[in-house]
Amino acid sequence: MVTVRLDNVVKTFGKVVAVDHVTLTINHGEFFSFLGPSGCGKTTTLRVIAGLEWCDSGRIFFDDQDVTDLPPYKRNTGMVFQNYALWPHMTVFDNIAYGLKIRKLPKDEIRRRVKEVLELVKLSGMENRYPTQLSGGQQQRVALARALVVEPRVLLLDEPLSNLDAKLRIEMREEIKKIQKKLGITTIYVTHDQEEAMVISDRIAVLNQGKVMQVGTPRELYRRPRNLFVATFLGRYTIFRGKVSEVDPSQVVTVKTGSLVIKGMPPAPDIKVREGDEVVIIIRPHSFKLIPPAKPHNVIEGIIDWVSYIGPYFEIRVKASGVDFLLNVDPETPVRIGERIKAYVSVEETMVFPISATKDMAYMQELK
Amino acid sequence: MPRFSSSLRGMKREFDSLTTTQLIFVLFILIFFLLIPVFSILYKAFIFQGHLSIQQFEQTFSNPDMIKYPPNLQFFKIMHRYRFEVLPNGSRILVPLTTLVIGAEGPDFGYIFNSIFVSTCVMIFASIIGTIAAFIMARYNFPGKNVFRVLLFIPLLATPFVNAYVIGKVLGEGGLLNYVLRHVLHAPFTVVISGLPAVILIQTLSFFPIVYMNVLSSIINIDPSLEEQAENLGAHGFKLFRTITFPLSLPGLAAGATLVFVFSMEDLGAPIGLAGAFGDGLHNKLMSFYVYTQFQQAFSLEQVSPSAYVVALIMLMIAVVAFMIIKKYVSLRQYAMLAKGGRWSPRVRKLGPLGILAVYAFMLPLVVVSCFPQIGVVVLALTNWATSGAVPTSFTLEYMQALVTKPDVVTAIRNSVTYAGLAILITIILGTSAAYIVIRRKIPGRDIIDVMTTIPIVIPGIIVAVGYLIFFGSVFFKTFMDPFINPGALLVFTYTVRRSPFLTRSVVAGLQQTHVSLEEAAMNLGASRVKTFFSIVIPLISANVIGGAILSFVYMMNEVSTSLLLGAHNPAQGPITFLMSQVIYSTGTVGAVSIAAALGVLLMVLQITAISLSNYILKQRVAFLGV
Ligand SMILES: Nc1ncnc2c1ncn2[C@@H]1O[C@H](COP(=O)(O)OP(=O)(O)OP(=O)(O)O)[C@@H](O)[C@H]1O
Ligand SMILES: [Mg+2]
Repeated sequence: MVTVRLDNVVKTFGKVVAVDHVTLTINHGEFFSFLGPSGCGKTTTLRVIAGLEWCDSGRIFFDDQDVTDLPPYKRNTGMVFQNYALWPHMTVFDNIAYGLKIRKLPKDEIRRRVKEVLELVKLSGMENRYPTQLSGGQQQRVALARALVVEPRVLLLDEPLSNLDAKLRIEMREEIKKIQKKLGITTIYVTHDQEEAMVISDRIAVLNQGKVMQVGTPRELYRRPRNLFVATFLGRYTIFRGKVSEVDPSQVVTVKTGSLVIKGMPPAPDIKVREGDEVVIIIRPHSFKLIPPAKPHNVIEGIIDWVSYIGPYFEIRVKASGVDFLLNVDPETPVRIGERIKAYVSVEETMVFPISATKDMAYMQELK
Repeated sequence: MPRFSSSLRGMKREFDSLTTTQLIFVLFILIFFLLIPVFSILYKAFIFQGHLSIQQFEQTFSNPDMIKYPPNLQFFKIMHRYRFEVLPNGSRILVPLTTLVIGAEGPDFGYIFNSIFVSTCVMIFASIIGTIAAFIMARYNFPGKNVFRVLLFIPLLATPFVNAYVIGKVLGEGGLLNYVLRHVLHAPFTVVISGLPAVILIQTLSFFPIVYMNVLSSIINIDPSLEEQAENLGAHGFKLFRTITFPLSLPGLAAGATLVFVFSMEDLGAPIGLAGAFGDGLHNKLMSFYVYTQFQQAFSLEQVSPSAYVVALIMLMIAVVAFMIIKKYVSLRQYAMLAKGGRWSPRVRKLGPLGILAVYAFMLPLVVVSCFPQIGVVVLALTNWATSGAVPTSFTLEYMQALVTKPDVVTAIRNSVTYAGLAILITIILGTSAAYIVIRRKIPGRDIIDVMTTIPIVIPGIIVAVGYLIFFGSVFFKTFMDPFINPGALLVFTYTVRRSPFLTRSVVAGLQQTHVSLEEAAMNLGASRVKTFFSIVIPLISANVIGGAILSFVYMMNEVSTSLLLGAHNPAQGPITFLMSQVIYSTGTVGAVSIAAALGVLLMVLQITAISLSNYILKQRVAFLGV
């Protein structure tokens, strides 16, 4: 069990900067995820940690040991590959025992440990099968067992569930989490599925174009995204642009867009906006209440445009003052297309992001 | 600057002990046994009496034997003669006889342009025949198609010299053709074909399948929707072929045609085989034969005419240009050997009766004529055809038995097996190492290794042999490695260098099919690169190694050019093909030709077995080149 530290790691492939000055610390026993869209550099970062790619600059530490120049076979990480990479010419037993044989453990010890790990991943009795004789989920477990059996310092998982069907994914992700907690092993998990990352991780790093956009617990990321990318990458939202008409000393910002006037706050105290700034407002659908809350709030009033039944709640779209709002409402509430509705949202939950950088502008264009 | 130092660091990591060892081995073999010998031809051609000079070129080009000007263009001659004929009652009478003699006196452009003329003609004819055959096989269904598919491969079974001898025997004065003309058709004339036209005929028949194979795999790999789209826009029939199908199969045609050109240029089988049937003549007034005789008869390098180096250099240049042409159109790796078929195009049409008739009218004569040499070799080996005249009269196993009883035949077989056996061991290490470096390692210059392991396919064996005679004959003068004393040791390496592309390409294909993460998983678990290579990579590609090794082995067994040129300097160390050339060319003792045919049958059996075996192991159709 170790702390993994990346210090200004850069990795390029020709002109593509796959990992762009990444600095991160992953704590002892933590379940840490890399989350981001396809091609953002998650796999590359993981492979740099495993030593399968070397970085152009920067350092990587396992605790205090600088492993930057260690070859992969001296790092003692346990990696689970996206395609499992099970050796087709070896049985399940031989696949799992491979790392132990490399470490020249006695035969009995190898047999005992393979047996134990097979119990752990619930595959007892499958020792003599070949990988092709296993289902996708079983292959996944063998890959996990093979990585775990050598008692690696860090467990590295690259989208391990992406080849499984929806139901099995949910089962397996719980199982992986349970095993991880039981062993207390530092784990780095790569995924592009935000729900998966939210459910399974202690902390998440959101990556975009090789850069770390934000690191935090799932709750922090969802509630307090530090930038537009994170806010829009995680969860659903209402989004619109406006202009700041007033900023009061407690950081409450008044924003005007068309006929709509709305009050909100930047998600973090160090994000500053000034009067006259172009800003983006983001509101989560569940932030809307139909009963006026005690705290200061915004009111929106409009016509219901669309209703969809999600299960635990209704998702409805409301057109108000020329803006398309997305709201979640209790399934007990009677809502019908064409009806008028009045909803309330607190000032804190109305997130205000400045769009100063041209990059943000481009990003806004993309969202449109 | 950090970029630079990090790439240095990266380099250091790429050069682990396995890679370094493999790289050194591959470079050692390729440089020492391919590059230096081949480049020493350059040296010999340009250095005259210790000075850089083009005098040898001037001498060569002004020699009328080399370049004949004006050329003799008398393609045929009609001869009126009388000859004795035996009547049924036993009396002999003199009858007038008109003979059409083709090729005996001309065309003759001199050694250099004879070769170019022959190769060009063979390339054109083989391209036309091969393309038509490929188009028919790829696009139409007709009864017996599978039989034709097999028969089209038979000409590729190499039976060096003997196949040409058989054709010579058919086309000669008392041959089968004239037997049919006079006794079956009662024609008032006879035909004799020899010289360059005979060479062109033989080579076209044995090389057109190379074009056929390459074009076929091109056509099969055309996305059917491309043609469907064109049809949708109103193109059909010949117009569709001309505007879509043919242009899309051009890369295959270009590669096939170029290979045929080079193979024709370096071929010794046809000139020597024809010389066996007709005696010396215009059919061996070719560059390949010139270089062959120059070096074969020489006891030392001093006895070789300087022109031989110049001619060898010309052949080398042509080969290199050919290689660049092929590279331009297609990566050779696709065409070296594994033209993966498998996906037969769904755009196969059933033919109506008229269509079937047309297809048969083309295919039947083609397969009958092109398979004839191989059939003839079998007949020659199993009957008294060699001495009986136009048609065989009795069956015998005497010649097949000679394979195990006649001492010099047994020695030749043992020599071949020894050389090929040793060469295949080196080839396995060389081929897997080179393939692994090219596919998996990111080291500078791996493209050069890629080229160097592929280019031997087009480098004429004569060039390799000449290079060895120059380099090893001078640097290792009077040592174990001197080809004038101990050619056997060097044959092991010419076989390795010339035939390793089959194995290398097979392993490359294997590596491309195995995901690199299988290796990364092992390294992640603590296995060093060496350990990973032997416990993961080798087992995963073993089928490709074995399949490629079998093919390489067979092609070593029937390798001609270096076997002849090097083997000649110590006949006791000569391999099978050397012995075959000796008995065909000198045709001294009665029955000798039939023994060569028996050896040809042995080679054919070996090839068929090996190809079936490697198809079975590699689990795919393996297209192969009878180089
Ligand atoms: N070996 C390579 N050679 C060249 N470019 C590469 C290589 N590996 C990755 N890249 C590039 O680096 C960038 C990051 O790739 P990476 O595989 O890390 O993305 P990812 O976040 O894992 O994406 P995905 O979710 O699709 O797996 C991409 O633009 C990719 O094209
Ligand atoms: Mg990835």
